[in-house]
Formats: sequence, C-alpha cells, structure tokens
Amino acid sequence: MLLAAVLFKLVDLQLIDPDAYQAMSERQRMFEHVIPAERGAIVDRSGVELAVSVPQDSVYIDPGMVEDPAAAAAAVAPILGITEESVHAAIGRGGRFAYLARHVPDETAGRIRELELPGVATVSEPKRFLPSGDVARSVVGLTDIDGLGLSGLEAQYADVLTGQAGSLTVERGRDGRTIPVGERELIPAQPGSNLVLTLDRSLQYEAERILSAQVAKVGARGGVALVTRPATGEVLAMANVTRVDETGEVEVDINNAAVTTSYEPGSVMKMITVSGAVEEGLVDWSTTVEVADSLRLGDYQFSEHTPHGTVNWAIPEILSSSSNVGTIRVAQMLGEDGLYEYLRSFGLGDVTTVGFPNEQAGFIDDPSDWSGSSIGSISIGQGIAVTPLQMAMAFNVIANGGVYVPPRLVAATVDPSGERHELPTAEPRQVVSGDTADMMNMMLRGVVAVGTGQKAAVNGYTVAGKTGTAAKPQPTGSYLDAAGNMQYRATFIGFAPAEDPALSILVMIDEPSNGDIYGGSLAAPVFSELARVALRILDVPPPATDRATRFIDALPEAAKKVDAKMSQAVTNAAGQVLATEPGSRVRGTAVAAPPTTTAPPRRTP
Amino acid sequence: MTALGELGRRRRITSELTRPFHNIDSVLVGAIVALSLLGVLMVYSATRGAEPPFTSSYLVRQALFVAGGLVAMGVVALFDYRRLLNWAWVPYGVVMVALVAVLSPLGTTVNGAQRWFSVGPFTAQPSEFIKLALIIAIAAMLAGWQEDIGPGRILKVLAVVAAPSVLVMAQPDLGTVLQYLAMGLGMLLLGGVRARYLIVMVLLGVGLSVAVLTSDTLADYQRDRLTSFIDPRIDSQGITYNQNQSVTAVASGGFAGQGLFDGPQTQLRFVPEQETDFIFTVVAEELGFVGGALVLGLFGVVCWRLWRIARSCRDNFGYLLTGGVLIMLLFQLFSNVGMAIGIMPITGTALPFISYGGSSILTTLVSLGLALSVGMRRFD
Repeated sequence: MLLAAVLFKLVDLQLIDPDAYQAMSERQRMFEHVIPAERGAIVDRSGVELAVSVPQDSVYIDPGMVEDPAAAAAAVAPILGITEESVHAAIGRGGRFAYLARHVPDETAGRIRELELPGVATVSEPKRFLPSGDVARSVVGLTDIDGLGLSGLEAQYADVLTGQAGSLTVERGRDGRTIPVGERELIPAQPGSNLVLTLDRSLQYEAERILSAQVAKVGARGGVALVTRPATGEVLAMANVTRVDETGEVEVDINNAAVTTSYEPGSVMKMITVSGAVEEGLVDWSTTVEVADSLRLGDYQFSEHTPHGTVNWAIPEILSSSSNVGTIRVAQMLGEDGLYEYLRSFGLGDVTTVGFPNEQAGFIDDPSDWSGSSIGSISIGQGIAVTPLQMAMAFNVIANGGVYVPPRLVAATVDPSGERHELPTAEPRQVVSGDTADMMNMMLRGVVAVGTGQKAAVNGYTVAGKTGTAAKPQPTGSYLDAAGNMQYRATFIGFAPAEDPALSILVMIDEPSNGDIYGGSLAAPVFSELARVALRILDVPPPATDRATRFIDALPEAAKKVDAKMSQAVTNAAGQVLATEPGSRVRGTAVAAPPTTTAPPRRTP
Repeated sequence: MTALGELGRRRRITSELTRPFHNIDSVLVGAIVALSLLGVLMVYSATRGAEPPFTSSYLVRQALFVAGGLVAMGVVALFDYRRLLNWAWVPYGVVMVALVAVLSPLGTTVNGAQRWFSVGPFTAQPSEFIKLALIIAIAAMLAGWQEDIGPGRILKVLAVVAAPSVLVMAQPDLGTVLQYLAMGLGMLLLGGVRARYLIVMVLLGVGLSVAVLTSDTLADYQRDRLTSFIDPRIDSQGITYNQNQSVTAVASGGFAGQGLFDGPQTQLRFVPEQETDFIFTVVAEELGFVGGALVLGLFGVVCWRLWRIARSCRDNFGYLLTGGVLIMLLFQLFSNVGMAIGIMPITGTALPFISYGGSSILTTLVSLGLALSVGMRRFD
C-alpha cells in the first residue's frame, strides 16, 4: 500500500507534467546577462556627431555571492567614492544584482576588477556623450542613465536609435559559478541606427552663438533662430536660447521653443494677408489703399504706430512701413473666410511634418467664432498663435515661388551595416501662383531696402523679409504683466539671396527689456549677422546679375508708374546690389534718398 | 565398506557445510546485488562533478563498502541465526556503548550532528548499527514470550527502543529515531500483540507526536522540516528549499530521464545531500520513471522474498528477525523516497543499498545476511 502511494506520486510527478518542473530547473540554473545594445549616434547633415554612445563600465554587486560583506564594503567603497553603508544597503536588498556605481572611469573599473572580490563585478554599459557639447541640445534632447530617450529626437526616434539588447545565457551551479562546459547561448546585441539630421553643426553653433549674444545684449528672456533651406524644407539650424534666472547667463535651452511654443507673431503675418489678396486678384503692385491713422472694427480701435494723417499708399508701401490700418483694409477685401483659408494653406494651425515631441499646432479661431475685430487683429498677427517653424515655412512659400515645402529635421537613418535610408519626404504643394510669389518677393525686398527691416540687409546680397513686433500675453491673462508693463516678442523672417533663395532665417527675441522692442531693431540685425555667416558656411555666391535684372524687368510696368517712389526705392536697392561687386559693402554707399514716408520706419505695436 | 563409509561420512561433512547454500534465495540475492550496484553508479553520478576532472573517491569507497557488505552478508548467512538467541543482547550492549561514546568528544560532528566515529579514512555511524542490534534483541524478547504480550512486556520493548532513541535524539537525528519507533511498533505487531493494545499505542503515538511538535523538545528546524512538506511552495529558498529542489529534480526526469550523468539538478548540485539522503533524486532525474520504477520494483522483490522467508520460517525467532528486517527496509524506503517526491517530511533517512555510506550499507547487507540465514535453514 505504501509502495502504491509512492508509485502513484512518482507517476504524477514524472509522467503527468514534468515540463513545468524542467522549466523550473532551467530557470534556476540558467542566468541571462543582458548585453546592452549600442545606441545609435545622432549626427549632423555631414556626419559630425552631436550625440554618441560610448561603452563605459558600471560596477554592480551580486549579494548572493558576497562572502564577507564587511570586507567587500571596506574594499569597494573608497575606490568608488561611496559610503560603506551604501554597499551594505545594496547587499541587504538581496537578489542577484544591484548597482554600486554607474559609468565609472576605466581606471576605477580596472581597480575594482583587480580586487577579484566574489560578487563584485563590472558590466559594460553605453553612456551618452555629446561631443559637440550643448550645441543643438534642444533638438537632440536627453537620455536617462539607462539610455532611454527622454526628450527631443532622442525620444522621438527612440525606436530607431535604441537597437535590440542581446543576451548571454550561461548555466550556473548552485554556488553561482559559471560552468565552462555548460550550455551557453549568445544573442548578440543589435546596435541602433544612426540618425542623420538636416542640421549643420557649424551653422547651429553660429546661430546659438549669435542669438545668445543678442539675447544677452538686449536683456531678453530668450530667443529662437531658425535657418532653413526653402527649396527642400531642410532645417539647417534650430537654435533656442534662454536666460537662466538664477545666474542671468544665456545658454542653449533644453526646450525646443521653435516648435514647442506657439506665439502671436505680429506683423510678419501681414505677408500672408497681402499674399492672399494678391493671389485672389484683389490687389496688385499698383493698388492704392486709403490709410487713415486709425480704424475702428467692432469694439476695437486699430491705429498706426506713427501717425501720418490719411494717405493713399500702394501695397508695397503698406508692407514696407508695416501699416496696420492698410493691411486690415486689404484683409477686409479678402474677407474672413478668405483670410482664414490662406492662413491655413500657408501651413498655420497644423503640426508640421517634423512631428517633434510636444510640437504645437498653434491656434487659429474658426471664422465662425471671430468677433468684429478678429479680422483686424489676425491679419496683423495678433489673436493667432503659431510656432516659429510654421511661420518660417510660410515665408518659404514666397521664397519657393508659391510652393509650400514641408519642413524636415531628420534626413536619413544609417543602419548598423552602414546603409543609409532616406526618410520619406512629404509632398510639396502649390499655395499661391508663381506670379504672386514673385510680387511678394519683390515687396519683401522693399521692406529690407527702404522699410522697417533695413537692419536685416546683408552686404553683397539682396534680402527679402518682414518685421514683426507683437505684444505677448502675460500669465495675468492680459497683455499687461504684474507690473503693468507690456512685454513683446520681436521677430524678423526673411530669405536671401532674394533672387534665388538659398536659405531663410527666422529670428525671434522674447521679452527684450532694454527699452527697444522692435523686430526691425532687435531681430533684423541678428538676421543680418546670421545670414552673412550662413551664406558663407553654405558657400552661397551672390546671384548672377542677369538673374536679378530679369526679375526686375519682369516687374509690372503699372507698379512703376503708379508708385514711382516705391518702385524707385525697390529698384534702387536692387540696383545697388547689381552695381556692386560681390562681397563689397552696400550700406556704405547708402540707398539713394529713401522715401520720406518710410522714415522713420513704422512698426506694428 | 569402511572405505565407502569413510567416503560417505566425508560427503556428509562437506554437505553439512555447504548444504544451507543449496536453499539460499537466489532471487533475493540477485535483487540485493542489483540494487547495490545501481547504488554505486548513482553515488558516482552524484559526486563526480559536472565537469572534468571527475572525482572518483566516492565511487571507490562505495564500491568497497558494497563489496565488504556482500562478503559480510555471505558470512552472516552461513552462520546459523539460532545461535544468536543466546547472544541476542551482545550487539545491543556494544552499540549502546558506542552510542554513548559518539556523543562524547570521541565523536565527530558533521553538519551540526554528532553521529560519527572517525576510523582512519572511514567513519562509523553507531545509530545505523543499532537498528540491527534492535532487531535481534526485540526478536529474541518477543520469541521468548510466545505471543503472550501484555502491557508490561510492551513497555519493556518500548524501553529497549527508547534507550538508543534518547541517545540518537541527542545527536540530534530525528529521522533515525522515527525508524527505531516504527521498527519497535512493527515488530510488536508481528510478535502477536493484541489489537486493543495496538490501538492504544497508536493513540498514544499520535498524542505523543502532537505533544512533541508543540513542546520545545524539537529544535525549530526539525519542527519546520516535519511540517513544511504540507505546502512546500511557501518559502522556496528557506526551509523548503530541499524539498522543492528534490521534487523538481524527480519531476524533471520525466519518463526516460535526462540521461546518466546528465541531470542538471544533480550535476549542478541543486539538490542537497544528493549522494546520501536524496540519492533517489539522482535515480529519478537521470534515469526517469523507468529508473525509479526499477528501483521500487527491486525493492518490491526484496520485500516479497523477505515476507516469503518470514512466513516459511518454522521458529518464532527467525520469523521475527526476518520481519524486523522487512519493516526496517520498508520504513526507510517509504520515508526516503517519500521525502524525495514530497509526500513525506524531510528526515535524515538513507535509502538502503543505494545511499552513500559504509554504516548504512553494512547494516543493510548484514541484516539481509541474517534473513538469508533464516531462509536457508527453513527445512531444518
């Protein structure tokens, strides 16, 4: 009977379900060492490393194998610069693995290994290094100590960069020793792919340097500078700097405000308002508009920044002097729905194709929700929120002859075998006609030649662009801060060479505090300096003279007649460029007799 | 005539010496030899190590034990067991002295238990030998009483069992004490004790167990081991580690086993004491259900033949002697294999024939020599 009981149990164990027990046996003798995958590098457009993983040793303890905790703690603690208590705490937690120190110098790891202490060992773990320092930090983002992407591209492209961790499975006896002849299985780690950005490290560095200097100089809270290539939508530099409250120092921001912050851009928006009207055939170069000093819409009184009495201004002059009333009159011709359609078709209100973590879509009220004054404020860039990148892309439409080219920040991935995989590009789309774009291009040149953006001029090149100065909503809920003061954002967006745009640049200065607030005086000079550097770095030659001439010849004759003064100014500016050898100074010879109506330059509030 | 008569006398003398062997139980001997040789192989597998160089010292010593044990078994079988009646208390007395001595500084402590004498390279374990002495002494007592066993005589038998039990308990070695008790009670049953006494004894035994488990007599580890087998998954790294590892090893064997020398649980030494108390896990893991059933089957043959000898024996002493050996084997087999497969608590019990250890092998084989001696003389 007893024998029968034994037999019964034996059958139960060995014949009914031996697999579960075999698995249990396997679990306790097979140990899996994780081999971390090398994280892919993030490199600029020409392969310069911005973030790269380097293997480094971490020291861990296997509490189950420590023979003499006191001796182990006493030996290890001084080398690692940790307390003996912390070693005891790690041992006390039990289990089979606890870090003592991570990413220690090679020399320290070597000394630990020389101790040959049972239960104390090192493991190679990749550590993220930024060979270029803070450059592009806001774009690249951060990883945690385990190499997981926390922000920026490190988070957005985590799947591409991370790779597949491998493992080494070994058979270990009860005493914890590996058995040389035991089963072992090696699954090699699959390294992550490299990420090739569209950024140019040198340009990125210069953008951050120049922007930081200006932010520091004008006592601003921070700033954004974007350099893009209009024809391809590639972002060549995406600089975000911020003033650190504690130290007052200006440094590269971890936040990529160029895409994660939406703001009221101010008068740069007038470009879209006018473009829409031109495209719809409502106005052209020669159209004149009666511009009073103020205009009442609904419950709001819009006014010109500098009173000039009621005048008839041509469209180019409205833009170059950044006339609020003139632009609103043009917007009224376009209508609420029309204005809204053009804002949307220029790419506002939608997240861009960059798809950056926490990227903002901006904000445009649906026309059905507009108040009586909305068309006035929105057409001049207030009461509408956009990201700097969206606004830069809108200006690229003009630079590209009317085509919206979606922005790109990542060009390609390079897999571990070295093969390059281009990332798919989004389809460009025609937003306005080539003629409209050409006309707008010309008008934007006027802004820099004779208007509010004169400080954006670059020696030897024609620049087209637009200034913007916008009141910034405060945490109080109004445009007045706690002290009762208005705070502003000063913007300049432009492209060069205007005849054949090789690059476009947006500069935004956030909350300048030294009295001056204007895009034309704070952002435009940064554009000028950055454009000069960028044109040199990108090796862009001044355009051939015939090109520019052909363009000017193509100007509607009517425009020349109706507003000879304006047309003369534009032609003069272009002529200056044509008459000058590449690289020589234009501003030294000065623009001949700037139109009196544009001096002093007008800015929008 | 004289020459013929001389020749006839010579032949009688020769046959007088060898005649008992004509009646030897060759089936029993075959099963004993098979189990012992299997044991040598299993001990080797349990001790050679997972990787070269392999250790053979256990193999050599176990082979020596078995060889010596088989010779001793033969010698004892030749010896007429009936002569033991006059000497029945001598082994008991000698081993009792040894049991006292082993607790003195003369004894050697292994794993916290003081059970051994060191004799040169070998160690002797008196608590094993006393089992044989107990069988002889109790069989002699009961045989003399001719089934007239009242409470007083029962107490006498229990006293004989209790004396070594107290000494072995002091070593401490609970598993062996339980064997003594089982043998004492079992032999009383064979000796013709009346059923009502038996019932009282069982009740007393249960009461005593409860008293022992709830009092401070047992060390905590002993109590834990006795009770933990009820649910071995509670604390797998603590008190039930042994049982879990053991059951895992047995079950991992499956039908055909992992192969000789290829059982991971065995070769990586996850099962503790696997060459002694847990040797059955080696059989079960490496040789599978086939091997386990073979061992149990051989034990079945041994028990069957012993029962046959006991029943065919014409004197009470031989019957009780053989029955005592049978009870000893059965109880050890059940508690040892039972603990390996998780249906009995963990107590330090050797698996007869198979477990490593000279004292155990010698005690087992000499006991069987006695049983063979009984069987050979059943026609006298």
